Amino acid sequence: MATLKIEDIDLTALEARLNKLCLSCDRYSPECKESQCLIGFGRKVLRFAADKKTFDIPGASKLLPERDFKPYYPEQVAAAIAETCRQCRQCRDNHSPDCVIALVRSALESALLQENIDYPGSVFLYLARIKEQHPALAALVAQELQKPGSKDGKE
Amino acid sequence: MGEGYFRQKNGLLAVDVMAACGLLTPEQWLGLGRAAREKNVFRLKLTTRQTVAVLVPEENAAQLVTELAPLGLKVAPFGKVVRPVKACPGNADLCPRAIADALALGLLIQEKYVGQEVPKDFKIAVAGCARGCTDPQCADFGARAAGKERFDVFIGGRGSTAQPIHGVPIARKVTAGQVIGLLDFVLERYRVLAQPSERLCQTLARVGGEHFQPPAEMLAPAEEEEAAEFAAFLQN
Repeated sequence: MATLKIEDIDLTALEARLNKLCLSCDRYSPECKESQCLIGFGRKVLRFAADKKTFDIPGASKLLPERDFKPYYPEQVAAAIAETCRQCRQCRDNHSPDCVIALVRSALESALLQENIDYPGSVFLYLARIKEQHPALAALVAQELQKPGSKDGKE
Repeated sequence: MGEGYFRQKNGLLAVDVMAACGLLTPEQWLGLGRAAREKNVFRLKLTTRQTVAVLVPEENAAQLVTELAPLGLKVAPFGKVVRPVKACPGNADLCPRAIADALALGLLIQEKYVGQEVPKDFKIAVAGCARGCTDPQCADFGARAAGKERFDVFIGGRGSTAQPIHGVPIARKVTAGQVIGLLDFVLERYRVLAQPSERLCQTLARVGGEHFQPPAEMLAPAEEEEAAEFAAFLQN
């Protein structure tokens, strides 16, 4: 949105969720290559957005590391997806897959489902869609959304 | 160049008055209203091209028109010309849905092109978001926002007649400056290729879209190029 600024999005809340996933990763090491890891990709997106003060990174959705097949804890991924729902500005027809929130959500979906759900630009419609396609994930996300959001990622 | 005067069934004359893509100040509305009352105007009709048709007794029309210039208004061109531009109120201050400054682009286009002679009426519409409230795909040349300060460009639309036609895309995610370059290109091609009184959609159907395909240097860099900076950041 022309009136939307990157400051309107709580990047730290999203980053906290990703950090939590990263720290609980069985494969975590200081030598991790973020470009080859879905969670690392999400963290890079957030840092780039903060540095450049942009909420849209054209073409970034094509750089998603789709060969990351590490297992992730569904509850933690669902909590992070719920955070993307909290941060979503519900752009409807103006939705861009290269929006930073969409990029993080796509990375999370890939981590858990190995696929992306076509985002309709609305949280309500998104939840309806995942309920239809992935009811177990939908239940976890709904459960998380009932909790208040937290900047440090702790419930 | 023709001007927008239309005789009505009841004998009144409709004077087609244009402003800044349909945006009028209170002073302009007041001035127009005052002039309308003084000249015994019957009604003022908002048109689909964001102009105002003033229904005035013919004998008062000339006097009414003299009152327009001091208000920053004028009679819209009509006939085989570029018509007044339709633009939505999409910019950083107005419509909250806007992702690009459609109003500024519309005003710029209107300022530069309105009244230019072309083979048949040429209608332009600019929209600041995907909703496209100004129907950019139903215009001869339409620009519709498709990202932050980026526009998709469509040509050959025709909203009217029994066979309305949607425009075809010729460029994706170009800047406002590139939209102007594309408009110059399309108008030049249209003037060269069209038969007399042939609307752009008909020219396109007759000669083929490839004749209106802009050269690569007029188009936005590929998304891959745009993503290069992020790709480099990702690898660090």
